[in-house]
Amino acid sequence: MTLTILLQQLTNGIALGSLYALIAIGYTMVYGVLRLINFAHGDIIMVAAYISYFGIFAFHLEWWISFPIAIIITTLLGMLIEKTAYRPLRSSPKISIMISAIGVSFLLENLATVLFTGKPKKFPNIKLFTDVVNIGDVSIQHIIFYIPTVTILLLVLLLFLINKTKTGMAMRAVAKDFETSKLMGIDINKIISLTFGIGSALAAIGGIMWGLRYPQVQPTMGMTPGFKCFIAAVIGGIGNITGAVVGGFLLGIGEILIIAILPELSGYRDAFAFVLLILILLLKPTGIVGEKIAEKV
Amino acid sequence: MSLLELNHITLKFGGLVAVSDFNLSLKENEIVGLIGPNGAGKTTCFNIITGVYKPTYGTVIYKGRNITGLRQDKITKLGIARTFQNIRLFNELTVLENVLIANHLHIRSNFLSATLRLPHYIKEENKMYEKSMALLKDVNLDNFAHEKSSSLPYGMQRRLEIARALATEPKVLLLDEPAAGMNPNESMALMDFVRQVRDKYNVTVLMIEHHMQVVMGVCERILVLDYGNTIAKGTPDEIQNNEKVIEAYLGVEDDA
Amino acid sequence: MSDNKNKKLIKLLIGAGIIVLLFFILFLCDYFLNTYIVTVLNLGAIYIILALSLNLVNGFTGQFSLGHAGFMAVGAYTCGILTMSPEYKALNFYITPIVPFLRNVQWPFLPALLLGGIIAAIAGIIVGVPALRLKGDYLAIATLGFSEIIRVVFTNTRSLTNGSLGIKGLPMPEHPIYWTFGAAVITVIFMCLLLSSSYGRAFKAIREDETAAQAMGISLFKHKLLSFTISSFLAGIGGGLLGNLLGTIDPNMFKSALTFNILLIVVLGGMGSITGSIISAIVVTSLMEAMRFLDEGFLFIPALPGLRMVVFSLLLMLVILFYPKGIMGNKEISVNRLLNIFKNKSGRKEEAKI
Repeated sequence: MTLTILLQQLTNGIALGSLYALIAIGYTMVYGVLRLINFAHGDIIMVAAYISYFGIFAFHLEWWISFPIAIIITTLLGMLIEKTAYRPLRSSPKISIMISAIGVSFLLENLATVLFTGKPKKFPNIKLFTDVVNIGDVSIQHIIFYIPTVTILLLVLLLFLINKTKTGMAMRAVAKDFETSKLMGIDINKIISLTFGIGSALAAIGGIMWGLRYPQVQPTMGMTPGFKCFIAAVIGGIGNITGAVVGGFLLGIGEILIIAILPELSGYRDAFAFVLLILILLLKPTGIVGEKIAEKV
Repeated sequence: MSLLELNHITLKFGGLVAVSDFNLSLKENEIVGLIGPNGAGKTTCFNIITGVYKPTYGTVIYKGRNITGLRQDKITKLGIARTFQNIRLFNELTVLENVLIANHLHIRSNFLSATLRLPHYIKEENKMYEKSMALLKDVNLDNFAHEKSSSLPYGMQRRLEIARALATEPKVLLLDEPAAGMNPNESMALMDFVRQVRDKYNVTVLMIEHHMQVVMGVCERILVLDYGNTIAKGTPDEIQNNEKVIEAYLGVEDDA
Repeated sequence: MSDNKNKKLIKLLIGAGIIVLLFFILFLCDYFLNTYIVTVLNLGAIYIILALSLNLVNGFTGQFSLGHAGFMAVGAYTCGILTMSPEYKALNFYITPIVPFLRNVQWPFLPALLLGGIIAAIAGIIVGVPALRLKGDYLAIATLGFSEIIRVVFTNTRSLTNGSLGIKGLPMPEHPIYWTFGAAVITVIFMCLLLSSSYGRAFKAIREDETAAQAMGISLFKHKLLSFTISSFLAGIGGGLLGNLLGTIDPNMFKSALTFNILLIVVLGGMGSITGSIISAIVVTSLMEAMRFLDEGFLFIPALPGLRMVVFSLLLMLVILFYPKGIMGNKEISVNRLLNIFKNKSGRKEEAKI
């Protein structure tokens, strides 16, 4: 395999990894505060992609209007889901809320099927993003530069929020100890809403960039990436934002490179994430960056 | 020869020393008390004996065999049973089922024989049933055999936990604050009960307790822990008059 | 004690009577009802088996497993390939020929089905040994991961499974209704006996409080693995029955969505209730079929594919938000309770010992 191909695939891997990272952040934040695997998170990607699509094709909006609208609507949707499907179950056994998440996921996917049919739609081709630049023999879509840049930018902003602001401190407190945070006067509902909002916004941005990079939009487009992003979050250390990013990049780059080096395994591409998951769970369940939690007997 | 021996047991959690150089030697059929202020490390000692924690240093020797750090269920099978500080009953199950479960470790039939109700299993099941009802009778809970265990009042739940632990046929019984939440009458009854249990079931009892009347009334000797260190050992009389013990519980006057 | 013995005899007779009655009704159904309704009945029976097997691990042993679809796939493919005629094998495996040692093999249904269960059980052990060291959410995603791995492997081992093309022509013996309901009845009886035995109590103890269970001498790993393996075996049986009933299978059938469907049935019926799973399986299967008109259009309602699942998801959300314990919670309908209701006593909860 030549250096050119290696570099080419590396750029593909970085793009994919950034997307995984962005979406994984949402998973890990929600798990951090609610101890919930939000199965519906992957479908948020799909919602954002469809809204952008319709904004451009049905309402003839410019992309720089359609995209922000999609992000806003998707963010609000995420917060709505939390309020109606998760908040009432906060004191119920864990499995109830997980099942609710599965229900929401099904609902979103099937609603999309009913409204938009299962036939894939082609995401708008925006020259700014899809034009290709050639560096040597390697041809790179513009968007491959944008995706990691946006991801890192958002990550920096988020880390600033979490570590340097009062709100961020409240979020960390809630993630550490739910009950005590309530007693300390933190408005739990606001913090959790905010968490969902941020996570959904990031997923929405991820969904739009995903549509730009892989222009097929269909109701189940979020399912597999959703799983993989959750796996990325676990690999990095669930509850840990930096970990989610590390996991995302690891998974994205690893997935692309393994297939590049061993093309016979391309059918097993999706299994790669799951194999990695099981290895991590058995060897270091708290993830690459994560910490241990002990139980008092 | 001592039945259960703890030698130089030390447990560190990172920088925190939970238990430091703890030594204990239990003979057969004794009743021994383990007391000390909250956080002194008493339950931690129980956890070390029963295999929940592996000590940083030291050994636990039972019947001459080193059982340090063995898996919990193995230790119970060898003959050491316990109750918990915060009662841990099988809440959704009935009183009888709670005790029946504690018989399971002795079962010889495999799951297939059990499911198919082969004669060998039926015999075992009947024995378990009889044994369990007898135990419940001893703790005066036989009338509640089919009640959900979580519906029992607190004091009865404690008695159930003890009956359950006894069902495992232990030689050593570790009771973690058995009198907690009991009124004076119940505490007195508990004292008699512990003696009866020791006499009838031939067990050695190691008891963590805060109820001083119970401890002084039923324990033959007592160890006192404070911040993980053993500050006194002796008979109830000796302990009651020990300055260090008084200091640990009440503080020194000058600080007031 | 002879009073107890009489009671037991009566219960046994009632039980046997119910079974005989059931099969008589099935005979009538098979004879008189149209094949569509019979197929729905068959599906219902199969989902009873699948729901009970998942309930064993999730509801009774308290371990959150999401791996059911994978074990169903193992059972379905094993049974399907073994029962498929060599002619169909040649037809199906036209791109990649089937492995030589299977080319001319054709087994009768029962041994193939049982082997499907056994191999699924072996898969259960392979998955369980590493995965059951984990708890809660981690166990859930580990089992989900294994299930997906199994599916992806099946998609790629074309010489064994025909990959993503799937296989058609899986034969079902005549009068499938006796097979499906027979298997379901055996499963129900087995589960009742298992769960009222000492081992069943051990499972429930683990569900209630793992630390206390261990302290009472119960080996957590051994019992979790036992529960998991039995569950996988039954999942394999269910998968085998399903595959041959439908006549065609492909790896996409065994995506995680299938596990979720069964999980929903279990939750709806009540985790930890056998009767709940039975009722729920029948209700949900019938409901899914009855709602088919939503997808295909009915009178003035236009055809909207996917609407059925939307309604199903909404129903599910309603249940989990307002009736999280499901239909039965963790209680059972027992002969004792029914008799007591008739005698007008305040029904005391005794175990239904058969």
